[in-house]
Amino acid sequence: MQLYPEQFWTYWEWLIEKNGLRDGLFLALILAVIGFLVGLIVAVIKHGPGEGFLNVSRLIGQLFTVDIPKLSGRRIWAIAKLAIKESIRKKVLVVVGVFIVGMMFAGWYLDQNADYPARLYISFVLTMTNYMVIVLGLFISSFSIPADIKSRTIYTIVTKPVRPLELFLGRVVGFMTIGTLVVASMGILSYFFVVRGLYHEHEVVSTDPEGRTGETSRVQRHRHTFTLNESGVGQTNENKGHSHIVKKVGDKYVIEGPLNDLTARVPIYAKELSFTGRDGEANEGYNVGYMSEYQKYIEGDSLSSAVWRFDGISPNLFDKAIGYDMTISAFRTYKGDIVTPVGGIIYFRSLDGKVETERLSFKVKEFQTDRRVMPLKVKGARKNKDDKFEPAELDFFKDIAPNGSFEVVVRCQDRGQYLGMAAADLYLRPNDLYFFWNFIKGYISIWLQMFIVVCFGVMFSCFLSGPVAIIATISALVLGFFGFFVDDMLKNTSNGGGPVESLIRIPIQSGSTVDLDLGNPALESGIQAVDRTLVYGISLLKNSVPNFGKLGTSDFVAYGVNLFGGLLGRHFTIAFGYFLLTCIVSYFFLKTREMAA
Amino acid sequence: MSATLEQPASSAPSSDPTSVIVETRNLGKIYRDFWGRKKVNALKSLDLEVRRGEIFGLLGPNGSGKSTTIKLMLGLLFPTSGRVFVFGKEATDVSKNERIGYLPEESYLYKFLNAEETLDFYGRLFDMPASVRRERTEQLIQMVGLQRARRRQLKEYSKGMTRRIGLAQALINEPEFLVLDEPTTGLDPIGTREMKDLILKLREEGKTILLCSHQLADVQDVCDRVAILHQGELKELGRVDSLLKVQDTTEIHASGLSEAAKQQIKQIIESQGGSLKKMDNPTTTMEELFLDIVRESDQRPGRRGSGT
Ligand SMILES: Nc1ncnc2c1ncn2[C@@H]1O[C@H](COP(=O)(O)OP(=O)(O)O)[C@@H](O)[C@H]1O
Ligand SMILES: [Mg+2]
Repeated sequence: MQLYPEQFWTYWEWLIEKNGLRDGLFLALILAVIGFLVGLIVAVIKHGPGEGFLNVSRLIGQLFTVDIPKLSGRRIWAIAKLAIKESIRKKVLVVVGVFIVGMMFAGWYLDQNADYPARLYISFVLTMTNYMVIVLGLFISSFSIPADIKSRTIYTIVTKPVRPLELFLGRVVGFMTIGTLVVASMGILSYFFVVRGLYHEHEVVSTDPEGRTGETSRVQRHRHTFTLNESGVGQTNENKGHSHIVKKVGDKYVIEGPLNDLTARVPIYAKELSFTGRDGEANEGYNVGYMSEYQKYIEGDSLSSAVWRFDGISPNLFDKAIGYDMTISAFRTYKGDIVTPVGGIIYFRSLDGKVETERLSFKVKEFQTDRRVMPLKVKGARKNKDDKFEPAELDFFKDIAPNGSFEVVVRCQDRGQYLGMAAADLYLRPNDLYFFWNFIKGYISIWLQMFIVVCFGVMFSCFLSGPVAIIATISALVLGFFGFFVDDMLKNTSNGGGPVESLIRIPIQSGSTVDLDLGNPALESGIQAVDRTLVYGISLLKNSVPNFGKLGTSDFVAYGVNLFGGLLGRHFTIAFGYFLLTCIVSYFFLKTREMAA
Repeated sequence: MSATLEQPASSAPSSDPTSVIVETRNLGKIYRDFWGRKKVNALKSLDLEVRRGEIFGLLGPNGSGKSTTIKLMLGLLFPTSGRVFVFGKEATDVSKNERIGYLPEESYLYKFLNAEETLDFYGRLFDMPASVRRERTEQLIQMVGLQRARRRQLKEYSKGMTRRIGLAQALINEPEFLVLDEPTTGLDPIGTREMKDLILKLREEGKTILLCSHQLADVQDVCDRVAILHQGELKELGRVDSLLKVQDTTEIHASGLSEAAKQQIKQIIESQGGSLKKMDNPTTTMEELFLDIVRESDQRPGRRGSGT
């Protein structure tokens, strides 16, 4: 699972600082203008310029003067209830049965030898729910209005004081009631499937003569070793993504159920990762020539270091120690001894550099997350008046991070070797949250996706026949999924400029690596400004269809990372945006459609 | 025509909306296919008014454009030319539906609902509170005589029962104006009679009713005024009694004539080769009038009827 910094923006950060709101409003504006022009062209072709313009303005006027103010909850719910009844009659709830059957045969396709069975189980149920729910949403929503038109029951509906928006909203509410029911049932079933499926108990099969270390029985294709402390309590090693608490009670050993495989870590990422070079000067980190986009490197046995700066860390998040996870890789310039891992040191220090903890050495665990702790009461050193370090007993939040800010420094110890890291490779890990809530959040996320599908399905069904509406909805989803192509395309405009500039370059045969030269700087910058606007508009427009790749959150749940409220809030906002979009499009299509034609 | 005259004419109904419920002006409809090609010219420049308190019959053979006219009035279709006003409002104005009840040509209802659920559902669409809905549902089920079938799904209903629940559905909001598309089609003679009695009763309650039918005999005794359509053209429009009077025929029933006078008349008739039975302007039946119109219209297409 790859986490991106943007997934950890808080809601307000996204909305305001990262221009979520601004982009949303601009997109709305662009769509409104496009919609208005298209509507106008159609109306003018149909009714002539005067009448056409009048019709379009009347349509827009009525939306705000009557069609929204006169919305009635009772009517919406009446239509919703009908949609629910109809869905139940069509045996839509059978999907839950199919889901159960799917889980029963899960054993066939879940790899029993996987290193992290929890991830596999969770991914499996979430993915299965996700696909089934989306397909369900697609089918029930796309066929609803076309079915009413085909059976002409729509005649008796639209000759009542039913507003076009109520037809849309009623259906969306109805289908989402069904959807909620289905998602909730699948969620509950999945939860028990995962928890029950992963639960197992071991027994102790052998111990050393003193009974302090031992080995457990082999259950679910793995075994553990364990070590007990003086009071007879201990923890097994981690295997298959979990460990067990072991207690010795009398002569007997008690091994508890699996620990840590179903969890919700709450990583706190650094505000900044900076580097220093071999002589201690600030630099960008070294580049070892491959895969360097993501990771930067520090050099061994020198002053080269990686420094993560953390801000605003509250003492309340940590009980006894600062937990942190670290995933660091090594790059060897010589491979003499491939067995001994590359070593490094790590320490925490105050922002002013005057207090630091003792330096702890570590060995790089390639491709594995190293779970570590820094105790709150810790040995370290403090600078005295002569700027010399003196040993000291430190209290972490008093001495190192008095206002919640501190730095974590990593160095490489082995000469000629390099350590590679990226900003997200070291994060603090406060007390985990409950897996249960994270699981629910994962299902809410699926619910949101279904909501978007239903909105689009109902919208397309307002003017297309059922099968065509399904195809249209699928196309929208596929388009959204490949939205990143648009981004890629737009990123490459640095060479040769944007659309207008490139067009101009063709006839004047200007190479794409030289600056545009038309002999008129004002014209050139004007063209570039137009291009920037165009590119911005196009990059926004791609967001008019949802990108389910980005809206999917099952990895968070599967990899045991807390699904941040901020991220879920964003998805809610985005879903709401699509809801508004589909509402308005549906309004215009329903209002201008001849129901009896 | 000057622009000043045209302006109000095209934007507002010309007659007083308190006494005229529906007004169509130069109303025409051409059905087109997906590509915009002309398929059927279903209605040609129709002008008529439905006045408050009357039962107006829209008559014509199958395919003459009756349902099309009704759908244009209800905003289910948009006119190709001309305009319709209902209660002085555009046909596409949703708020007019508050005061309208509509029974479609076939009862397009949700077959999986029962009678009570159906009426409750349509009651909700009028934003009626639950207590009012219950009361209306009860009343209407009694009125159309579906007490015994109230909990049965509509898919089990016979044609007659479907018509009746359709009518009940159209009456849920106590409409001022009732539009009935072929209310008697498919009903047996008793059902037809009951339906007609119901229509008359509703008129007594002050409702305005527009009904259309191709079964002329069925409606000639309930309609106050009728319009006769044929192939989308209005052929006759007027009061039923005056339409049925045959102007160029004389029927004589006489009394108080002297024998001499009678002889004289008889002689005249006999001298023409006839024999006197009665002397009067006879009435015809709707059926005959209708066949006449069709015949004439086939001979001289496009000619507009002259009745008033
Ligand atoms: N949706 C439609 N598309 C195309 N033609 C139609 C449609 N509805 C009706 N028509 C045609 O329009 C004409 C008038 O139909 P209609 O108004 O239903 O007649 P009536 O109700 O008098 O029997 C008929 O020729 C019919 O075939
Ligand atoms: Mg008809």
